[in-house]
Amino acid sequence: MDLHRRVQSQTSSTSTATPSKHAFETRVADVKSPKSDINALILDYLMMEGYPKAAEKFQKEANLKPRQEDPTINARQQIQHAIHVGDIQKAISDLNELDPGILDSDPHLHFSLLRLQLIELIRNARGYDPSAAINFAQEKLAPRAASNEQFLRELEKTMALLIFPADKLQPDLAALLHSDLRRNTAAQVNEVVLQRHTERREAAIRQLVRMRAWAEASCRSKKGNLPDRIELGLNGDDNGNDPMVTT
Amino acid sequence: MAHSQSPPALLWQIQNARNHAEQIEFLRQLKDGVIGDVRAKEKWVNHGILQFLVHLLQQKPTAQSPSGLGSKEAYAPISQTTDLPDDDRVRLLALQLIASFAKGGPLFLTPLNAVEAVPVILTYICPHKNPAQLVLTSLRALSDMTEAASLSSRTSIEDTAALAKALFVPRYIESLCAILDAESASGIVQEQKCLVANLISRLCKEPRYQDMLADAGVLDALATLLASFVVARGEVLPFTLDTLEREGLAAVIPQPAPRGLSLALILEAISVLIADSRFRTGLLLCSPAIMAVLTSSEIGERNSQIYRTWELLKKSGLIHGRLVDRSALDYLLPAVPVTTQRFFLSQHHPLFPSTGRSLETPPKHGRATTRFTTEDREWPVGGGDTEEPESPLIPWLIHLMRSGTNDHEKVMAASVLASLFKGGFMDPEREFSLSVLVVPVLCRLLKYYEKERGKSLDAIFVDSETATAWVILERTPAVLARLIADSVFLQQVTRDSGALKLACKLLKDSYEPTAIPSPPRPWTPNPEERQDTGDDKFWTCQLGPPGQVPLCAHKIRMRESSLKLITSLATFKEEFRKEIVEQDILPSVAESLSETPQKPTPPKEKPKTEENGTVSMHPAGHSPYGHNPTSVLIAACHAVRTLARSVSNLRTVLDDNCVAMPIFKLLKHVDIDVKIAACSVICNLLTESSPMRDPLIKAGVIGVLCLYARSDNAGLRLNALWALKHLVHMTDRDTKKKCLEELGPGWLIQLICDDTEDEALHAQIMGERRPLTDADEDEVMDTDDGYAEATDDVWQWQAIHRKGPGFDSTRMRVADGMLRALREREFDEVRKAREADLAIQEQGLDFIRNLIAIPQQPAQAEMIDYIFSELGQDRLFDILASKLRVKILRPFARRQPSSSGTPDGGAGSGASGRNVSIDSRVLYPQSKIIVAVIYFLTHIAAGVPRHRQLVIAQEELLKLLAGHFNNKDVDVRRSLCHLLKNLVWCDGTEDRRGRDLRVFELEKLGFLQKLEGLERNDAELDVRERAKEAASSIKGEACEGPQVPHGRVDY
Repeated sequence: MDLHRRVQSQTSSTSTATPSKHAFETRVADVKSPKSDINALILDYLMMEGYPKAAEKFQKEANLKPRQEDPTINARQQIQHAIHVGDIQKAISDLNELDPGILDSDPHLHFSLLRLQLIELIRNARGYDPSAAINFAQEKLAPRAASNEQFLRELEKTMALLIFPADKLQPDLAALLHSDLRRNTAAQVNEVVLQRHTERREAAIRQLVRMRAWAEASCRSKKGNLPDRIELGLNGDDNGNDPMVTT
Repeated sequence: MAHSQSPPALLWQIQNARNHAEQIEFLRQLKDGVIGDVRAKEKWVNHGILQFLVHLLQQKPTAQSPSGLGSKEAYAPISQTTDLPDDDRVRLLALQLIASFAKGGPLFLTPLNAVEAVPVILTYICPHKNPAQLVLTSLRALSDMTEAASLSSRTSIEDTAALAKALFVPRYIESLCAILDAESASGIVQEQKCLVANLISRLCKEPRYQDMLADAGVLDALATLLASFVVARGEVLPFTLDTLEREGLAAVIPQPAPRGLSLALILEAISVLIADSRFRTGLLLCSPAIMAVLTSSEIGERNSQIYRTWELLKKSGLIHGRLVDRSALDYLLPAVPVTTQRFFLSQHHPLFPSTGRSLETPPKHGRATTRFTTEDREWPVGGGDTEEPESPLIPWLIHLMRSGTNDHEKVMAASVLASLFKGGFMDPEREFSLSVLVVPVLCRLLKYYEKERGKSLDAIFVDSETATAWVILERTPAVLARLIADSVFLQQVTRDSGALKLACKLLKDSYEPTAIPSPPRPWTPNPEERQDTGDDKFWTCQLGPPGQVPLCAHKIRMRESSLKLITSLATFKEEFRKEIVEQDILPSVAESLSETPQKPTPPKEKPKTEENGTVSMHPAGHSPYGHNPTSVLIAACHAVRTLARSVSNLRTVLDDNCVAMPIFKLLKHVDIDVKIAACSVICNLLTESSPMRDPLIKAGVIGVLCLYARSDNAGLRLNALWALKHLVHMTDRDTKKKCLEELGPGWLIQLICDDTEDEALHAQIMGERRPLTDADEDEVMDTDDGYAEATDDVWQWQAIHRKGPGFDSTRMRVADGMLRALREREFDEVRKAREADLAIQEQGLDFIRNLIAIPQQPAQAEMIDYIFSELGQDRLFDILASKLRVKILRPFARRQPSSSGTPDGGAGSGASGRNVSIDSRVLYPQSKIIVAVIYFLTHIAAGVPRHRQLVIAQEELLKLLAGHFNNKDVDVRRSLCHLLKNLVWCDGTEDRRGRDLRVFELEKLGFLQKLEGLERNDAELDVRERAKEAASSIKGEACEGPQVPHGRVDY
């Protein structure tokens, strides 16, 4: 759960108790968010990000009413998993099984996936015959790149992997072999599927986090009465009974 | 790896798979290979894969197979296709593949049509017989094909029409209805519903399909979905439930709309279905779910607090109007500060001069740009001063437009509002709300999306956000145009919101050349492979033309839409016409008159060679300016028509930009609607003040118009005659004679004399009935055949019919009655035929009048003699007399109760619904025709004494005229005064005796007495004055002044 990690890292340094409470903080303390809302938010996160089992357990533990089942959640998890482990062929096939219209109407996503597949081919061909990778690039990627500048650049960059030894790559080339690329592509696929089927792109909590940041920034720019630093309040019992109240 | 298998090998494997499992595996490989890869798709089509897929789909199990439990499986998640039986999975894959091929674009439309994919796909849309996934996929395939059809450049309209023809047949309409009615909340069903709504809004453009869908209950189903959004938004009035329970309507309150259903798509489908029909609009308003969810006013009235608030606002001058008409939903809207009623009166309010001839529009050209099915507003439905309250759907839609976050929804809500407004279902005061609550929203959307546009534009791929933005930008001007078409006030508001300049800019922008008009061929590493197109050379394996890129199609739709807005804005106000012309859009308008447009160039820079109309085709067959379909041509014609209402435009920009020749070319277009539109422009281009008249005559416009005056199509006949009428006005003698000769005196007589349309309709109905009337009448009534036909004819309101009993509340019965009446009016073929006949007769008489309207003697007298000799003097007078008499059509036929008033008088069913009570009818003389007759006589009387004598000699005619002195129509009374004044005109001393005789005759017939009656008692000042003049002329008091015979000039 990357959100959790991010939140942790932001707040880990501040644990000392505040000597006098800022007016804002007292107001914050007065707001009581219903626990059910927070739980719903968590469940939403789990469902949207594609953690079906965790969602199921959480639902049972928090005694939530079963939500309208998202029929794509298992498939989304499968596809993301396939991308994470580098089996792009399977990911594409599963995606086509889930909704054959997606790749047909989104050439950018399709190109991203095919390029990832090419990277895997190149990675596997290290030191051996690269003709499989070259053929694949010629058959699948080159026709698309010919009509699109952006695709062309990306394809050229990817093909450069064939030439340079893996340990002496420029940082931008090295990034192609990094697992972040897989993760990003997987997230991209997740978003597209979500949008097609639920008209939403991401978990509600992501939007809330962004809204909080925006609200704080715009309040500060207008010189509103805010404490120097607003805690997220994830790490302690300082705010009373509900630890997740401020998100 | 799968994709490395060559097509023939894999195809062989698929075809010869030992079992379903194996076949599924191979088909999946094929699917992964072709999705998203146009080149692979091409290769596979060349190898004949489509034929095989269709073959797979044709092997359908019979309807009783266990897979026919659609509704239960609707809950199955999309991803779990494994729970389908294997044979269904094979079919699912085949459908998915066909959908994927259709996604490849217009290129694949030809082979798909060649293998007749559509009929096979359609067998899978019934939700009762097919698993939900198959229904969903087949709908996707249809929708992909529709999308492809919209991109095929030249044949787009035909391709779309073919799809519509295949889909809109009773069997499949029933399936569509069943899908929309399904009560499941599962995502898969919602997507099905969205796809159906989308298909309807893209394909259902013809009124006959719209009627079929409405009759089959599709409109009711859509209305129920709309109501489910009202529920989901929590906007059902809390205190209505009791009333509804009493009425038995509580049961029809739908569940809240589930996630995944798109309100914008539902509204769009509704708006496309109701289009310009009052009946269908009424059907929406009376839909049980809408009536239940949005109850009308009286409840709010009883609420004293609301009432007091209203009174307070009224006192403070913030509100104007009666509370009675307001539903509780109105309190969601801001109070609209209408200060006084004078506000409306000062403006040109459409309800007052509804058929008005205002001064700034040439009379009779004041035809609105868009027409509603039944134009008269006498029928008391909603609005006006009637007791029928306005439907709360109206404030709800306005509220949606203001509170919604989805811009597509807003535009579509406005589109439905436009239908409601134009159909006369709104309170008159609502016009002001529209001006402050609706029009500005639309203008703002237009501004916003116009700015948003033009971000990175990929040649082939359009992401969904851009696609939606384009849809909004395409629809908004057209919706706005429809909304403001009949209201000067709303036009003013639209212009003030800056939409006039924007519309012009959008039109100009739509002529920015597209860099890559047609999708580029994908690059291939081995070009010679192109030639290797598999072993089959059958035409089913050949690809079609590549069509155009979405951007190009978008630009063409923008042309149509912006032209419509320009047309609406130019309808009434000369000021706006001037402003439009100042935006330099005429070159673009002129190019829109051509199927193969070029770069719009201002007249100065234009090479003069264009005159002879040779247009150089772009080498590739795809010009960067696209190809204008008939819809653009028609829209451009209407724009020119309204712009040509201004004489200064006629003389300057329209002439400079040489619109005459392109329009003349369109006059000979194959499409009848284009012909009619072009003909209506020609009307305005042939007026006396037009410099384009002579070039058009030289080009041979007379021949074409005379030919069209003999057309079977009443609209074309009318417009052609109208144009000829303008042509002969104030032109030289030879042209006049040529026109009459070409038209043929015999035909002209027939046009003004016969009830052509009426006869045609009668003949048609008799033809339909012939098999029955051969037998004895009584026997026929007893046979099953006759009975079946009779019941077929009775229209049933599907919403009530299907949902069974419990619907006998008063409100529903009132609604049923209203719908029946609306429907009867709309499908009253007899009435339509009668109106068409009258319009043509009026034009015919005016044509003759304009022939003899010559201000100089003896040319005028000579022309009158010529007309008499050509048409036959006695026959002409006989016809004129017959126009003033009560006429009985087919007096010996069986009389049946007239269509109006009796609900069982036989309203037809469906598009073929014909009123059958045509046998014998009494026709009363119509005031417009009477006026035409009188002015014609006035012109004859303006000739030499001999002609005046001739008129006086028509004793019977004069007697008939005497009966019209107290005609309700002011024009009739005024024209009579003119006629009498001319009749007693004294032409020099030798005519004195003749004049005395004429005066004697007139006094004998009691005309003087009647004139004096008019002078004293007429309600109109103008008529009183004219009557006074005429009476004094007869008495010989003031006739010696320097007066000229009155020769009315008519445009």
